[in-house]
Amino acid sequence: MSQILFSNRARTAPEVMIQEVGGESVLLDLKTERYLGLNEVGTRMWQVLLESDSIQAAYETLLTEYDVTPQQLEEDLRELLGRLLDNALITTEPRD
Amino acid sequence: MTESTGAHLSLTCGGGKFHCYRIYGIRLSSQIQLPFADCESMQTVDVSLLAESPDFFREATRHAVMTPSPTRWYKYAQLGNGQSYLRWDDLFEFLVDADGRRIWCGWLGAASLESLQVYLLGHALSFALVKQGYEPLHATSVVIDGNAIAFMGSSGFGKSSLAAAFLADGHRLLTDDMLLLRRTDGGYEGQPGPRRIKLFPKIARRFLAGTAGAVPMNNETEKLVLQLSGDHSYSDGVPLRALYVLGPPREVRRKQSIQLISLTARETFIALIRGAFNHVIAGSERLTRQYTEYLNVASQVPARRIGYPRVLSMLPAVKEAILSDVAELARTEQHDRTYAAG
Repeated sequence: MSQILFSNRARTAPEVMIQEVGGESVLLDLKTERYLGLNEVGTRMWQVLLESDSIQAAYETLLTEYDVTPQQLEEDLRELLGRLLDNALITTEPRD
Repeated sequence: MTESTGAHLSLTCGGGKFHCYRIYGIRLSSQIQLPFADCESMQTVDVSLLAESPDFFREATRHAVMTPSPTRWYKYAQLGNGQSYLRWDDLFEFLVDADGRRIWCGWLGAASLESLQVYLLGHALSFALVKQGYEPLHATSVVIDGNAIAFMGSSGFGKSSLAAAFLADGHRLLTDDMLLLRRTDGGYEGQPGPRRIKLFPKIARRFLAGTAGAVPMNNETEKLVLQLSGDHSYSDGVPLRALYVLGPPREVRRKQSIQLISLTARETFIALIRGAFNHVIAGSERLTRQYTEYLNVASQVPARRIGYPRVLSMLPAVKEAILSDVAELARTEQHDRTYAAG
């Protein structure tokens, strides 16, 4: 699994389309011609990640929205990011 | 049930005369006379169907590299000039033009007109439709009180058999095997397909009063092609009310009950992607269009996953379960409309 630095920010990979539908999301990677679905929680995590300056900032925002322990949220967020990175659906880069 | 001649046709059928048909809401001009009523001659044509000789296809595919289809039912080749070639050994071959405006047809052996319909107006036409920007679904649809419901699922999951149970109950077939949707102001409209259904003999005997006039689809299956009369088929586009995604036959055991589960829009989208009629044509442009279109369908049309024991005697009960669900959907929508207006 790719290494994830919370100081970095996340961006959608160039050839990925994403559309929200009914509170969930469907991603299409035009390069690999594969689809990925995100449930409501995954969709919200994705939205916050893309809106935030860093993964850490996204984590802190999500912590205010979900009634889970910080450790559980970090674990879930890392798992989602790992899947997205392994499937090249997002990229991470240092903040400006 | 109409009679079928089961006539075998030569390549010279039709001669220079073109017949005009309207199928799936598409205007077809055909050199091959199909077993449908001609419509008025049309000024514009969406697809032309032309008969050609083996030499024509040999020349066109001289450098073609053949690939088995995803289901291995036929072979195909994408030619350098954008044309698509499809071949069912000992049956038919087709060449679809790059822009989907023409389909050339050739016979490779003795096969009936009814059989040609299945291959020409199914797989071959699907290539033409996708090239023209449509996204046909692998689905069978019946009309309930002026609205269409569609059954989706892989080949062999029982879509046509389930439709036959509805026909036996007095409902009418909108289309069998391929469903074309058109977007309307209110949602989506299912388009009428050829007036025929493909069934195994025991299903036809149980629900459609026998197999008189039915013609075998090909030598490798017992499935029959049955032409339908106007009493059993619908000839206009109708609003699509709901989708029913059939689970695999072995998923529900014989003594288990019928399972009907609502799908989220995301799950419906995945079902639509899996249920696309044509999985061969790829590329960014097609995938982007398909993605956008199916997301729209998924967000507007309710869908259910239905599982049931594949026991013939259960089909009427499955039909009733679906009819109850459709009625409930209508009540819910009426309720929502009432509250929205109030």
